[in-house]
Order: sequence, then C-alpha cells, then structure tokens
Amino acid sequence: MNPALAAVAFAILAGAVAAVFVRDARLAVLSLAVVMMTAPFLADPIAAASGLAARVLAAVLATYLLWIVVRDGAFQTGGSRLGWPADSLVATAAAVVGFAAHGLGAPTDGPAFASAVGFGLAALSIAPLLTGRDVLRVGIGLTLLLQGAFLVRVGLGGTPSTLEGLVTAGAIAVLGGAIAVLAMAARSDGTAGFELADELPARRRRQTDLRPDAGPADGRSEPSPERP
Amino acid sequence: MSPIVFLTIALIGTTLALLVRPWERVATSIGLAGLAAAFVAAVAMDPSARLEVGGSILASTEYLRLFLVLGTFSGLILGIIGLSIGSRRDGPAVTLGTLGAAGLALAIPDARIAVLAITAGGMLGVLLTITPVGARVGAGAGIRHLRAVVVAGAMAIAATAWIGRDLGELVAQPVVFGLAYLAFALAVAIRFGTIPFHTLSARLTDAVPETGLPVLLAWGPASLAIVGLAWVDSSIAPLSIDVGAERAIVVGIAIASIVLATFAAWLQDDLEHVVGYSIVGDAGVVMLAFAALDPAAWTPGRTWILAFVVTRSAFAAWAAVVRGTFRTGRLSNLHGWAIRSPILAASLVTVIVASIGLPGFAAFGARSELVDMALDGPLQVLVLIATLAPITYYGRLLALGIRPLAVTSAPLVDWRPHRMAVDRTDLAGSARRLVAANRTIGLTLLGLVLSMVALLTSIGAFGGPQASAGLPPEQAIPGETTP
Repeated sequence: MNPALAAVAFAILAGAVAAVFVRDARLAVLSLAVVMMTAPFLADPIAAASGLAARVLAAVLATYLLWIVVRDGAFQTGGSRLGWPADSLVATAAAVVGFAAHGLGAPTDGPAFASAVGFGLAALSIAPLLTGRDVLRVGIGLTLLLQGAFLVRVGLGGTPSTLEGLVTAGAIAVLGGAIAVLAMAARSDGTAGFELADELPARRRRQTDLRPDAGPADGRSEPSPERP
Repeated sequence: MSPIVFLTIALIGTTLALLVRPWERVATSIGLAGLAAAFVAAVAMDPSARLEVGGSILASTEYLRLFLVLGTFSGLILGIIGLSIGSRRDGPAVTLGTLGAAGLALAIPDARIAVLAITAGGMLGVLLTITPVGARVGAGAGIRHLRAVVVAGAMAIAATAWIGRDLGELVAQPVVFGLAYLAFALAVAIRFGTIPFHTLSARLTDAVPETGLPVLLAWGPASLAIVGLAWVDSSIAPLSIDVGAERAIVVGIAIASIVLATFAAWLQDDLEHVVGYSIVGDAGVVMLAFAALDPAAWTPGRTWILAFVVTRSAFAAWAAVVRGTFRTGRLSNLHGWAIRSPILAASLVTVIVASIGLPGFAAFGARSELVDMALDGPLQVLVLIATLAPITYYGRLLALGIRPLAVTSAPLVDWRPHRMAVDRTDLAGSARRLVAANRTIGLTLLGLVLSMVALLTSIGAFGGPQASAGLPPEQAIPGETTP
C-alpha cells in the first residue's frame, strides 16, 4: 500500500464530503477545488508533467470561474440534509466497495485507491444530482461524478496518456465554466440566488439576445432589455 | 491537410468567440468566421493523414472529413439564419466547439479519450439555454442538459474503461460485457433525448432556438453514437456473448422512440417541438444500430447517422425561416404558409423526400437494413412501417400550408427578390438596403440550399456510403476502405 496515494485519496474524499455538506457557497467551491486539484495525483505512476500541469491548471480555471459567482457570499447553496457524518459514511462505504471490487477479478493497470475514491465520489454525487434544488449544488454533484468516472478509469486502465490528460483538462474547465455561467444566470434573475425555477412554464418562449429588435410577433416574444 | 488544422481552428474560434461574448455581434461574427474557416479546413483535410499527439494517434478518415464538411456547412447556414431572424450570440461558437470536439473524438482511436472529448463538447451546449429574460428558467434547462451530458459521459467513460483492458481472467464475462454495452447504449440514448429520456429534449426545445437544436440534439450525440458503434463492434459484437436482456432494453428504447416520437411530433402545435421530436424519432433508428450487435450494422448505421443529422438540420433551418418569415411558429397561425411562400414549400418537400427517402436512396436502404438486422418477424414489418410514419406530421404541415387563408393566418410576406438602383455615392448604404430588401428571399434560399444538401446526402452523394463503409481510425489503413 502506497501511503502517499492513501493520503491523496483521503484528501479527495474529505474535500468531496465538505463540498457536498456545506451551505456556504464559497466553502463549497473551495472544497471542490481540493477535489479537482488533488485528483490528478491519484495515479501510479503519476502522469507526465504536461498532462498533469494541464489538469491542475484546468482545476484552477474552473475554480476561479466558480469563485467569481460566489465570492461575494450573497447566496448559499443547498448543502446536505443528511449531515456530514452520514455523507462521510456513504463515501467511506462506497470507497470500501470500490477498493474491494477493484477490477472485479481481472488484472488492472491502475491503483486500487483510484477505484475506491472513484466509487466514493460517485456515491457522494447521487444526492446532489437527484435532490439538488439549486444550480450550484447540482453542479457540485456533476463535478464529483465526472471526477469519479475519471478516477475509476485510472483505476482500471492506468495512468492516462498526455493527450487524455489534455482532453480531461478541457472537460474539467468547460464543466466549471458551464456551471459558473448557469449559476450566474440564475442569481442574476430575481433574489432567489442559485435556486432553480419551480418548473418550466409550458411552451416557454425562446428568447433571443442576438437580435433583440427582431423577435417574432407570435405572442410568445419579449424584447430583451438585459444581457444574461 | 492534417486534422490538426481543423481542430486548431475550432479551438481558437470557439475560445475567441466565448471571450468576446459581451459584444454579441463580434462574438457571432467570430463564430461564423470560424465555421467558414473550419469548413475550408474540413474540405481540404487529407483523409489518410496520421500524426502522433501526446502519446496517442490522431487519424483522419474519409468519414471524418465528410462528417465535418457537412457539419460545418450546416452550422454555417444555421448560424446565418439565426443571425438574421434572432438566435443566441453563442450559437456559432457552440456549433464550432461541438464539431471540434466531434472531430477530435472521431480522429482518436482510443474510445476512452473520444468519449471525454464528446462530453466536453456537449457541455458547451448549455450556453444556448441562457436567456436574456427569465434567466433562471433558462439556467434550469441548462443544468438539466448539463446533467444529462455528464451522466451520459460518466457512463460511457466507465464502460470504455471497463472493457479497455485484458479481461481474460474475468469470471462473470457475460454480465460485465452486457452491462458495459447497456451503459454505452444508454449514454447515447440519454444524449439524443430518446424515449424515455425525452424530457431532456422537450425542455431543450422549449429553451433553445430552432437553429441551435440540431447541434445539441443531433450533431453532438451523433458523434457519441459513431464512437459507440465502433466500440461495440470491436469490443462486444465479436465475442458472441448472450446479452439478450440488455439488448431487449435497447430495442425497446429504439422502437418506443420511433413510434412515440413520431406521434408526439404529429400532436405538437409549434414548429420547434415538431423539429425536436422528429430528431428523437430518427435517433430511434440509430439505437437500432446498437441493438443489431452485428459488425454488419456499422456501414448502414453510419450512413443513416450522416443523412439524419443533415436532414434534421435542414428541417430546423426550414422551421427557423418560417418563424422569421411569418413571425410565428404556431401551426394554428400558419394556415396558407405554402401559398404565401412557394419556395418554402419546395424546401419542405425536399426535406420530406430526404427524410422519408425513396427506394434506392442510401439512407432509405440503410434504415431498412438496420430494421432487418435488429428485429425479426412481424415486429420487423411494423417498425419498418413506423419509420415511414413521419409522413403524417409532414403531411399535416403541408396541409396547413395549402389551407385557405384566414384573417389571422400567415400574413402576406415579401418572398420575391428585389432589384434596387445602386447609389454610387453610397455603395455601403446601397448594399445594406439591398440585403434588407432581399432578407426574406435570401433566408428562404439558404434553407432551400441546405435541404438540397440533405437530399443529396440522403441519396448517397458526396461519397457517403463509401465513407461509411470505411474502418474506424483504430483499424484504418490508408487506402483501404473495406471493413
């Protein structure tokens, strides 16, 4: 057992539990940053420098984009309704399953810790994805799920190539940017912060922002007085 | 020309357009210029080019080239129509980014990296859900789309990682291979928004302009389907493992999508939902290619995908031009539209012929082959008939178009071309006035051009069937096109 990998695995799971549990959006984003920045190091051997640097930089970029949305601390995210002990137990149980089931009897090219943490992150992502009522919480769940899938892939297939590291970095950066854009859009509309609308009105008019003076006149159109 | 040129143009164009998105005209112009440059790069792409990047091989194929040529061309026309009638500032950038990701994915032999690229490209689509008014509702649609993309991506990543190693010592092989196959097929179904995941496509249709629907619901998911078909053919199909239960689920999704989506499209009262459900119905045929579990489904599957995405782009373009021309997308307000604008009627008829097809068309043959391979007995006949059922909603649209005009129906539109005297002291102003006077006819002709391209693709022009028969990048040898 490699103690360095164990320490990295513990840091990732701790960060994930905190990201899911806390209500302070800033703390949630910082906890998520811990997950995104330490996950690339959970490989044996560690990826080539260029791929690794791309992953870390993508994590920094994603964190920064999310930080822009939450830095004023004006709005909270949903947080866990179960409490951190329950979340920790969920993550631990899933990690034990992932560690024990590593490869399911077939040889693997990656460390068992990666599978364990991948399972743990995937388990932690379920509650935000299924019950999340705000953009940021669902986004945290999506990030954990994607990181979990990356880690399961590392556990089974071994250290990613440089190109895979670059593409993974792109996916992380785009995901962070997408969540940030959606969260900013939600908080810019009314005073409910990152909350999702209760339900979509039927046949909602698709607004245009490219040519606001040329909206169709079918009773479902409004001019666009502001930018998203 | 190497595929790296196309990928570089796509990456730089998308990034620049997104960086300047506060200035909507500039962002859209950069996106459209990027699409035009990407189209040129795709046309000039060497289909046998290979290069090593970061420890992996990037290999272009004839199919990749054709997919990107048609994708950028469709995206360019949809982008111009969107610019003229009203769309989202990020439309061209999202199209460019999605096609760039698709190009990367189809050039990478390793399915594990390819699904990552497609997932990243799919995430860009959330930008099209952001609305200037009611942003919270748009964010809701966007986060649901993002959830579908990430969940599908995670399933596909797990499936490809699971199979992408030596499993010779594994005990429970059928279960493992069956679950991996099901996971990837479900990932494709989720991305297409097929039934029972159609809530996604319905919500997107509510939030996204017509011109943005093809890239989100067709082009992006289609690239995942192509990667998935190659992966199934190389990892699952050759093993002759009994995956009956999993295959039955995929067959169920395919049949439900073909039948119910067509019915849903027929019921809808606005054009965007007709377009959305028509995409879902055609995606059901793609799912049949997964259900066939036969390497012989590779060629008809890819032929169908190519025809389907271009045809649905043409249908979306037609719907957008109708909305731009008549200022409405509600069918109840479009009585007599075909009488008012005969070129639009010709455009729809062309789309219908491309979509339904005729015996001898490549797409028609590919669809029939997929039904034959995936199904047996009476069900085969019933589903084959169901694939022709889109004629019902097309017939409804045409019937509305030739109904007598009512006071509240389609207004008199200016669809004829106009000549204007050129003011030699103000050439720029003359050009602007000429473009404004011919805006409607210009858009209509653009839609007609795209529908003609769709018809040619459906027939099998541009070398589509030959390109579809080519090997995927991991097996392709330059000069060899037989699987």
